[in-house]
Amino acid sequence: MYRNPQTGPKRGVSLYSYSAEFGFEKSLEDCFEDVHDMGAHGIEILANTHIENYPYPSQAWVDHWFALLDKYELEPVEYGHWVDSHVLQDRDLTTEESVEFLKRDLRLAHRLGFRILRTKMPVINGSLEPVENWRDIIRGALPLAEELGLTMCPEIHIPTSLKSKMIQDYVAFIQETGTKSFALNIDFSVFRTHFLDGEFVSPGYEPSAPEDLIPLLPYVACCHAKFFQITEDFQETVVPYPEILGILKEHNWNGYLLSEYENPDKYEPGYEVGQMLRKQHIMMKRILGD
Amino acid sequence: MEKQVIQSVGFRNIYEDGKAVGFQVKIRLPYYRGVFLSQIKPGSLKVDGEVFTKDQILWRINGEDYTAEEMHEDWKTHWHPMEPATLIVKKEGGLSQGYHDLEYGYCVTHSYMPPDLEALADPDKPEIVYFPEFGRNLNQRRLLIV
Repeated sequence: MYRNPQTGPKRGVSLYSYSAEFGFEKSLEDCFEDVHDMGAHGIEILANTHIENYPYPSQAWVDHWFALLDKYELEPVEYGHWVDSHVLQDRDLTTEESVEFLKRDLRLAHRLGFRILRTKMPVINGSLEPVENWRDIIRGALPLAEELGLTMCPEIHIPTSLKSKMIQDYVAFIQETGTKSFALNIDFSVFRTHFLDGEFVSPGYEPSAPEDLIPLLPYVACCHAKFFQITEDFQETVVPYPEILGILKEHNWNGYLLSEYENPDKYEPGYEVGQMLRKQHIMMKRILGD
Repeated sequence: MEKQVIQSVGFRNIYEDGKAVGFQVKIRLPYYRGVFLSQIKPGSLKVDGEVFTKDQILWRINGEDYTAEEMHEDWKTHWHPMEPATLIVKKEGGLSQGYHDLEYGYCVTHSYMPPDLEALADPDKPEIVYFPEFGRNLNQRRLLIV
């Protein structure tokens, strides 16, 4: 299987970026080739989207998956999935049921060569706080994750602050358990400094400062390189990329920056998300010097 | 597969012993990821104003048929966004030859949205907040039966 020899912050793409085109203008192989065109070597998939017959793909599909990774020199970096404890409308899944749900994804992620998972737990309110039993759910799956060499990561996303209690709780859990199988995925939306006129901003939101990352770096397994507005001269106007990537380089952080384009304009007819991704990758390539 | 939720391919009458006993139409999931069947909130299908309620419609997914009640309890079967589902409706004589105005209402739950907001979603009414990546609850199309 292809392995990228680079160390430090490395470029990759979350295939979620192609959500408006996947299955229509672009096949899985088209997405892989697009990422390869950018000279990026890592991908994130969404389990329920990109895996045929999820959660039970055929061996033929799994063989095809590995053949595509080799062909386009891509590493399977992050397996995006959800612990859907709210899957029933009348009751939440019990902790035991949620753990079983999660373990099935751990096994599948491992089968597909992943080592990191973006493990999204159901939220209970507008501040995106996870379900109250999240510690028990993760604890129940930790032995299997450790056995398979997997790291589960909640995604830290706007409007959450890097200095919030939610982050402190996650870090405390990692320290208490001493595990290497639970870490953080930092989505760069938490650094967003400007919004469009009339755009929704959560009450009380304050952008995190790039320096807020420094104490968290030992716990950051990968990042969502979220971007919003890239100018024609390849600058992001609302997220301070040079500062963020500078910190990651300076502290010898080793991991993937997975591009994620989430703006709803990608659903407009004729929108070409691949070109937006390319603009962002020109920017990151220049800053990283790779 | 077409980008519209209601697909043109798959719209036809269903025959038994040479007689039309109903009709079928295919729909896709306008969400970027698949869902388990219990996440689906099926609503009503209107054909030229005639209303078929959720209990009169079978969903066929991966070759298996499910009633609304069965889907409500089934959190193990997954519906993939690239595989349209077939709605199957009993109607003696089927639909007449010519154009039909179809409107179908359904929505799905999203585990990462605030539950209070999710609980308000009504498949037979327009969504409270529209997100392009969740699609619309109500979808229409005018299609021909041959």
